[in-house]
Amino acid sequence: MDQQKKLLIIDDDPDFVEGIKSILDAANYSVDVAYNPKTGLQALQSKIYDLLLLDIMMGRGAEGIMIARKLRKDAKLREMPVLIITGIREQMAFLFPGEPVHPRFVAVDELVEKPVEPTLLLEKVSTLIKTAEARKTKAE
Amino acid sequence: MDYRPKIIIIDDEEVVLDSCTQILEGSDYIVRTAEDGTLGLKLVQELQPDLVCIDLKMPGITGIEVLEKITESNPTIVSIVITGYATVTSAVEAMKKGAYDFLPKPFTPDEFRLITKRGLERRRLMLETIALRKEKELLRENFAAIVSHELKSPLGAIQQNLFALSAELSGVLNENQQSRFERMKSRIEDLIKLINSWLRVMSIDIAKINENFSPILLPTVISKSIEIIEPQAIRKDIQIITSIDESMDPIEGEEVSFEEALVNIIGNGIKYSYPGGKISIKAKQVDEHILITISDTGVGIPKEELPYVLVDFFRGKSGMEIEDSHGLGLTISRRIIEAHKGTISVESKQGEGTTFYISVPALKKKG
Repeated sequence: MDQQKKLLIIDDDPDFVEGIKSILDAANYSVDVAYNPKTGLQALQSKIYDLLLLDIMMGRGAEGIMIARKLRKDAKLREMPVLIITGIREQMAFLFPGEPVHPRFVAVDELVEKPVEPTLLLEKVSTLIKTAEARKTKAE
Repeated sequence: MDYRPKIIIIDDEEVVLDSCTQILEGSDYIVRTAEDGTLGLKLVQELQPDLVCIDLKMPGITGIEVLEKITESNPTIVSIVITGYATVTSAVEAMKKGAYDFLPKPFTPDEFRLITKRGLERRRLMLETIALRKEKELLRENFAAIVSHELKSPLGAIQQNLFALSAELSGVLNENQQSRFERMKSRIEDLIKLINSWLRVMSIDIAKINENFSPILLPTVISKSIEIIEPQAIRKDIQIITSIDESMDPIEGEEVSFEEALVNIIGNGIKYSYPGGKISIKAKQVDEHILITISDTGVGIPKEELPYVLVDFFRGKSGMEIEDSHGLGLTISRRIIEAHKGTISVESKQGEGTTFYISVPALKKKG
């Protein structure tokens, strides 16, 4: 039997988080939540997660980007899959001028727009976790 | 700060300067005078007035030259030309050089007061227009951020919870409650779509899509667009008939946005068609241009509305009840096609249907 997967959501909108979390809870994931980038980073450093759900537009702008950059620099966290959740896709384009709309933060990531349909959300989450695990097995 | 209007009078005749100053006394203006063009221009530079009255015939620099220099340095300063030798030619010349109005000598105090008042009103309107334009620019730039955060986030949060509840409440709600629940979801979805299309128009510089241009094949783009729109057509029992010349040259463009442009136009045709109607899509190459025509057999567009359908923020008010139309789709299409160096035009007959003509330059074959 598979061990229960641990997920972390970093998003500053508690209502939105509730909506996402209850879908993931119902699908038998263990879900932690951080409502700002700072506690989010602390959580990432103190516990190992199978997947991160990251909001990009937080606080005074794209504070989620800051986390993504830190992940990229960390040899261990770099291997964790990330599902980027964003309010609007177009904004991504001007946050990363010249880069394609979907920025590759880490080895395994995907981008979805808010709000996310439950089936799509669950499908992305499980695919990302599987892809990351496959990568890991291959590397070992 | 002193907000009193500043007026400069430039005339070589002292008596004119004195009488003009006198006429304007009592009104809440700051009035300065200069006896020739050189002094006058210096004063204009110093004071940055709202209005300048210039005598055309002066020794030294002529009134016309003074006028030209003022218009050049600050086109928002309103110039009024005064002249003793009132001829149509000199009036026309002065107007061409940027004068706002023309006052032949001799004039009565009332005439002078009136023309000054009108000139100042003109200046006020010009400054107001500039300020509004700046404000509009600012608003446009900030719109994406404001709208997405302040409007979309709450809606997104609501919708996310409806999504979650929808699964959690299955089996709990009765059929009627279930259908109301689905309506709620679809209403919110419409609202989010509306905001997205507003954002697209307001915040995205469609002209910039050409940064991602590469050779694309229009027959492929057209069939993809039809695939996207087909469910809508089927729902309304509308037949899409195509006649596409597959051998055409590629164009320089961006597939996704061109697809969006076509989907908007075809979708428009479906929206304004009666059930059972037809939409015909033709594409062929004529010399160095690819021509696409999209015609429907729908309600048509009234003559008086026709010039405006492709203009920003227009939405037809006649015809039939339309669901889910934000009046922005065609505008977006036009902008996308123009970004592809193409043109779009429309012909329509009320009661018979509408045809859109798109022309885009084909990519020249090498060699």
